[in-house]
Amino acid sequence: MQDTLTALVAKAQPEFAALTTRPEFEAAKARYVGPNGELTALMKQMGTVPKDQRPALGKLINETKTRLQSLLDAALAQIETAELRAQLGPAVDPTLPSPDFGPGTYHPLTLVREEMCRILRKVGFTVADGPEVETEYYCFDALNTPADHPARDAQDTFYLPETARFANVAKKTPEEKYLLRTHTSSVQIRTMLKGEPPIRIVSPGRVYRRDTTDATHSANFHQLECLYVDQNVTVRDLKALLDYIFASLLGKDTKTRFRPHYFGYTEPSFEVDLTATHLPKVKKPWIEIGGCGMVDPTVFADVGYDPEVWSGYAFGMGLERLAMLLYGIDDIRYFYQNDVRFLKQFA
Amino acid sequence: MKISLNWLRDYVALDASHDEISRAITFLGFEVEQIIRTGAPTLAHVVVGEVLVRDKHPNADKLSVCTVNLGDTLGVKTIVCGAQNYQVGDRVPVALPGAILPGNFEIKQSKIRGQSSDGMLCSAKELGISEDAAGLLILADRPALGAPINAVLPPGDTVFDIEITPNRPDALSHLGIARELAAWFKLPLLYPQETFRGALPLDEPARPDLLRSVRVDSPEDCPLYTAHIISGIKIGPSPAWLQERLTAVGLRPINNVVDVGNYVMLETGQPLHAFDARKLGGAQIVVRRAVAGEKLTTLDGKERVLTPHMLVIADAAQPVVIAGIMGGVDSGVSPDTTDLVLECAFFKRQSIRATGKRLGLTSDSAYRYERGVDVHGSLEAAYRAIDLILATAGGKVVGPAFRVGSDVPWQREIIVTHDYITEKLGFDIPAADMRAAFEALEFTITREEPTVHPARGPAWTVGIPSWRDDLDRPIDLVEEVLRLYGTDKIPAAVVSSPGLVGDDDPIVRFNRRVTDYLVGHDFNECVTYTLRPAQEIAAWVSATAAQELALANPFVEDQSHLRPTLITGLLESLKLNQSRGVAATHLCETGRIFIERNGQNVECAAVGFIIAEPVAQRSWLKREPVDFYAAKHHVAALAAAAGIDLARQPLASGTGPLWGWQEGHSASAGNIDHGWTARFGLLDLAMVKALGIAGKVYAGSFAILPEKISGETARRRYADFSLLPAALRDIALVVDAATPASEVQKTLAKLARAAAAHAFALEAVSAFDVYTGPGVPAGKKSLAFSLVFRAADRTLTDEEVNGVFQKVQDEVAATTPWQIRK
Repeated sequence: MQDTLTALVAKAQPEFAALTTRPEFEAAKARYVGPNGELTALMKQMGTVPKDQRPALGKLINETKTRLQSLLDAALAQIETAELRAQLGPAVDPTLPSPDFGPGTYHPLTLVREEMCRILRKVGFTVADGPEVETEYYCFDALNTPADHPARDAQDTFYLPETARFANVAKKTPEEKYLLRTHTSSVQIRTMLKGEPPIRIVSPGRVYRRDTTDATHSANFHQLECLYVDQNVTVRDLKALLDYIFASLLGKDTKTRFRPHYFGYTEPSFEVDLTATHLPKVKKPWIEIGGCGMVDPTVFADVGYDPEVWSGYAFGMGLERLAMLLYGIDDIRYFYQNDVRFLKQFA
Repeated sequence: MKISLNWLRDYVALDASHDEISRAITFLGFEVEQIIRTGAPTLAHVVVGEVLVRDKHPNADKLSVCTVNLGDTLGVKTIVCGAQNYQVGDRVPVALPGAILPGNFEIKQSKIRGQSSDGMLCSAKELGISEDAAGLLILADRPALGAPINAVLPPGDTVFDIEITPNRPDALSHLGIARELAAWFKLPLLYPQETFRGALPLDEPARPDLLRSVRVDSPEDCPLYTAHIISGIKIGPSPAWLQERLTAVGLRPINNVVDVGNYVMLETGQPLHAFDARKLGGAQIVVRRAVAGEKLTTLDGKERVLTPHMLVIADAAQPVVIAGIMGGVDSGVSPDTTDLVLECAFFKRQSIRATGKRLGLTSDSAYRYERGVDVHGSLEAAYRAIDLILATAGGKVVGPAFRVGSDVPWQREIIVTHDYITEKLGFDIPAADMRAAFEALEFTITREEPTVHPARGPAWTVGIPSWRDDLDRPIDLVEEVLRLYGTDKIPAAVVSSPGLVGDDDPIVRFNRRVTDYLVGHDFNECVTYTLRPAQEIAAWVSATAAQELALANPFVEDQSHLRPTLITGLLESLKLNQSRGVAATHLCETGRIFIERNGQNVECAAVGFIIAEPVAQRSWLKREPVDFYAAKHHVAALAAAAGIDLARQPLASGTGPLWGWQEGHSASAGNIDHGWTARFGLLDLAMVKALGIAGKVYAGSFAILPEKISGETARRRYADFSLLPAALRDIALVVDAATPASEVQKTLAKLARAAAAHAFALEAVSAFDVYTGPGVPAGKKSLAFSLVFRAADRTLTDEEVNGVFQKVQDEVAATTPWQIRK
């Protein structure tokens, strides 16, 4: 009996080792330890063994069973390993490129806009928004730009026909015309009319000028404006904001300067220059970057704020111009062509 | 406008450098666009020399070695020269060691190819006189040897091309700019002193035959009209000084009378007009509105048809001048003019502007009237012009002189305190400096009083001169003080950064969210133009939209309409990339679009994307092509950013007039009348192909009324979920091919819920197979769904689930037209 058991194990060992599939495995398992298996058959002979030999034989059979089981386990592990390996296929060449398109990219105007908004948010400005189709009131009248001002000329501003109706852009008076906003300052008026001071907003957005498209002009472009309304706001505060913005954006050594200028909605008014000789393609010592000033008391009076109590400043600049300066882009049309080779450069 | 430095020096003794003057103009608030130098700069150590000998350089073919005579004091020098245009005996400019030529080029004693050279013979360009670098400047008229070159060359001038802001018409003149510079440099301003002061000569008889009457019919357009007669003049060229002045600022000299008119306008800012008195029919001047249909040929040779809005100067019969803008060809000064009528008038800016705009006509005169001329300076200007005409063209002033209307006496005072100015500036400027700034600008301080708090500086009553109509409030004086103090002296400060008073606008947050999503899904964000061509809108949207979205005054034809969709702009970018052979497949944009509904437009916030096949790009590994459901997936995510669950919205499949979208392969949801709309799927194959784009393009767009994005979402509540296993049952139904899956899915869900009643929950009904082919009749399809049941409190038994499932099958058989596929 002992020999028979030993022979069984010896026979099973190479058989199990040669198993490569689960059906073979199941068949082999059945052949040895299944209900009709060889070991099972031997176990059934236990009854014919003399009683005194049974404990020894029982131990022997158990050992054989354990031995077979461990051989089966090993065989199964080997099959599983082979199965997993079969899922793999040949090794990859990691140097081949991915065929997938991407990654996605943010447009450079978005990047510059968001960077400016982040810089301004740190000092208390939140982003405001308003319609691009505006009325004469919000774009001009409320900004102290009288009816005969050249900026209102049909030569410079896009108008909608008098019959045009916009359900969600309300007119202040029935006579006024719809137009495409020439600056985002209209958002300042809407914000002031809607809320109460203090106000600290930045309004980036698309604006329109009736202009020839060339390397530096575009029928639509983007502006970013800040409005700050509070008590005791001073020219010095305005200068401090500009210094802060451009030092944050371009580095600590960046300086700004104010040149007195004229805008209808600010008094005093300034044009803002900055030094940026470290930027690509910048040759002049001072670059004009935007306009600013202290909100004109007329504008406050028009939106119902007491000019004796409230004071404030406004600053505006072109986003394309800023992006061109920052990245060294020399043609504004690239922003609107969306050549993917262009778009991928700024992510 | 162009301002000559030589001219400015008539009124203010400027000795600052050009750079300092340019900087002063800039910081006074006028942009210097260009500095134009004419003539020679001041050049030391550059003298006149004569070439005595010209030998070939021993070591260089193109160079000569010259012996140059510089006269008795400087003697004879040896100079190497590369020019070819001169001869022995020519007198030329010689730069000696120590001379600094324009461009900071210093002349030194040197050796050129082994030959010592004592200086340089100069071209006109090297001296900074002109761009002529062709050869040496050969000096005419044999000037004295050794003479400093500046004594020989005509004196130069510096012309500043300055942009004058519209609030400062007073600066549209040399006197105006001189006044500003005098204030800046703290120098006195010298006004021209007129000899003629309005008194008519007693010994000359009046000449009503030359001008009998002046009548102003339209005083609201012309508050003041003056006319003087000058008799016996002789038209001829202006004197050299006058021609030089005009030439320097870009005007062509015409004749003495016309030139004086221009000169006085450029000096004082007051436009003038001279008539040939004999050409004024009836010896009359009538200032009136034109009669409809009247015509006038203006000096530029164009015949102008006039309307009753336009102010004209007429004689007894007809208009002779478009008032303040341009004269007619027939009434002006000609070479044989002997008697003049000199007009000096004040026209209202609105009148001039409206007429100029209607006629599309402008002039130096109109430019000044449009911005505002100082009526209180009109007579001074007339007197000045009379002086200069008498000096350059002879003649006498004779009566009668006319003055119709009046200049209302000017008086304006602004009370401002030192304290107020300091409060607005945020830093202190000494009171004395403020007062000095006012006085430097010729404002009169009529009173200075201590304020209630003496420590806080005085209050001034400031008289504003008539030419500064732009100043009428204390805040305006803050700017004047700061301009003269210098904006470069605003002290630095820490930016004040109080807490936020609000949050970013919901639209801004929506745009960020969808852009983040799309960029995160490998899209390239684009920015395209808002203005699109009419035919595109007619083709892609509707003829009504093409009508309603039109601009009144487009600038170019292909940018005439507001965009109703972002997709066409993205297609244009796709086409550009394809045509350049650049791989572009995923493009997106956020921005405003304009949707027409029943003849009325709405402005919407929108996001759109396109996914194109990578047609030209080959890859070693192929990917599954994109399909309709990818577009649907992205649009659902975009709608979710606005708080809209697309899965709960009815979808219209893409049939009917959805121009631009492929029928049967696109869908839409929502309705802008209710606040939002979405559209997605395949773009019309033929239309995309017609654009010249290769391959299929899937697209999606989502638009919402800005006011519908609230930014406020109700806080979500946690819903309990079962930890016990689910029971699944599959059912396949044969339905009409046109039956939407969602209809079947909803019916199954309703039946299963009813069947399970309150016993346990139906968790999901999800499609897992769609089949047509053998075993399914033509015109039908098989839809297979998996029903997922689960209970919160127990593991479901087969019996209870089977019972429910059987009920579902029975109900389907009994109540629907669908066959259960076994």
